[in-house]
Amino acid sequence: MKFTIPIGPQHPALKEPISLRMTVDGEFIRDADIRLGYNHRGLEKLAEEKTWIQNIYLTERICGICSHSHSTCYVQGVEKLMEITPPKRGNYIRYLVSELERIHSHLLWLGVAGHEAGFDSFFMYTWRDREVVMDILEMISGNRVHYAINTLGGVRRNLDEMQVKKSLEGMEILKKRSEYYFKIGVNEPTFVARLAGVGYLSKQQAIDLCAVGPTARASDIPRDVRRDDPHAVYDEVPFDVCTADTCDVLGRVVVRVKELMESYKICDFLLRNLPAGDIAVKAPRKAKPNEFLSRYEAPRGENTHYIKSNGSDKPERLKVRAPTLANYAATVEMLKNGFIADIPLIFAAIDPCICCAERTVELINGRTGAEKIVRFSELRKLAEDRFKKLPPKRNAVWPL
Amino acid sequence: MTDVEIMEKTKSLFGDKIVEMTNPTERRIFIKVEPQNLVPLIAGLRKDLNITYVATISGLDLGESFEILYHFGHDHGSLTVRTQIPRANPHVESICSVIPGAVFYERELQDMFGLIVDHIPDARPLVVPDDWPANNFPLRKDWKYERPPEIIPGGKK
Repeated sequence: MKFTIPIGPQHPALKEPISLRMTVDGEFIRDADIRLGYNHRGLEKLAEEKTWIQNIYLTERICGICSHSHSTCYVQGVEKLMEITPPKRGNYIRYLVSELERIHSHLLWLGVAGHEAGFDSFFMYTWRDREVVMDILEMISGNRVHYAINTLGGVRRNLDEMQVKKSLEGMEILKKRSEYYFKIGVNEPTFVARLAGVGYLSKQQAIDLCAVGPTARASDIPRDVRRDDPHAVYDEVPFDVCTADTCDVLGRVVVRVKELMESYKICDFLLRNLPAGDIAVKAPRKAKPNEFLSRYEAPRGENTHYIKSNGSDKPERLKVRAPTLANYAATVEMLKNGFIADIPLIFAAIDPCICCAERTVELINGRTGAEKIVRFSELRKLAEDRFKKLPPKRNAVWPL
Repeated sequence: MTDVEIMEKTKSLFGDKIVEMTNPTERRIFIKVEPQNLVPLIAGLRKDLNITYVATISGLDLGESFEILYHFGHDHGSLTVRTQIPRANPHVESICSVIPGAVFYERELQDMFGLIVDHIPDARPLVVPDDWPANNFPLRKDWKYERPPEIIPGGKK
């Protein structure tokens, strides 16, 4: 007997509501289907009616977690079109905020993963630690979510000695605390056992479906825009691309923990080698007719903005591709042949925000058509119950 | 591989299919092809140059024609394949037979520009709502959004 379970689409706390319709056979998911557009804002059309400067603040509002990613991706493209180069100090501050944002996003995600795996103390630890980086971001930019630090030709706020010192202190604290995450698998074999083998995405599938970010890197594809397309500061900064070869949710956790350590390293480098000088140059009001493809490694994967100018003060076309869209095709594959109880975990593994709220799931009885509303918390309870009955996977090892 | 090497290799392998090839900035290559050569070229790029990752597909409304840009990412930068199709007969062949991950972008193109992607594995609307009026394609330049007049129930006539 097969059931179809619609999940979603709408919840006020989600910024990207999606509808997933899953065909299940018993506990197994046989097929998954995705429907987007419940919150389509027509942003690309709107961007054509706003000026270059206004669009910075528009693109910043594409996403709440990686707001800086979109505005940086847009700004670095428009700077190419306007043929201006931001001063070195401005560039360093801009990409320092980028890396701080990556740290806050990964810490947030790790907490969500821990929560979905039924390991709530891990959730509380990471979210407490995240406050350290949020405080640094607030100190640097004045804001906790939409930093609004980018402008055409540089950044809007400078760093002083005291802020550099405090940021470096914060990095030290975070580094120490993150060492605990490295050891977590050794101390918590149950956590590892819960994640190992869930949401499998083979390397070939990840290549075919064009997965990006930690999802691709956990399937052993070293795809990272910072290395492939070393723009701005990334050709000066030493860092490694982190990969894992387990192709499952465990791998995605490992990749993000490793990336946290790399980001601390990058932030440390940027803060210690901060050049003196101006932070911004003056940008012209108009851009010559041209086109540019801007790429940026956001916390969740590659951001792509295609920008075309027509000589006026407004863009002719702004195409935005957010990393989550690239990973949806892969998510469908991950869900197939998994368990209903693993849905929250697999969701959480690609997008940190999809599970941040309680949501309802409707279970439709395939034979009678009767519907039953299930709270997301109940679904999570199902997941935990299944896990408690499960014998721990003895062969799953923590790769760090 | 540098930009020059990639361009030389592409030229030697698919020289007859390429209309124009430019390298406006570092690590950005733009290749222009005729629509009928699109899928063979992309298949060739995947097979011989190991360019497998399509970052996104952008559409452009040029008035008399539509331009479609397939942005690829690889280990040494990015490569864009562009083609133009007439507005009167906006048909383009799907690349999903070569790169299955492109289906979401092609569905988006269909919704936003009203292009018809032939042989697409899944032609349902992706981003527009189910009750979206037919022949309304938001990213075409002649499409304007008009807010429907606000009617307050029980308000003044």
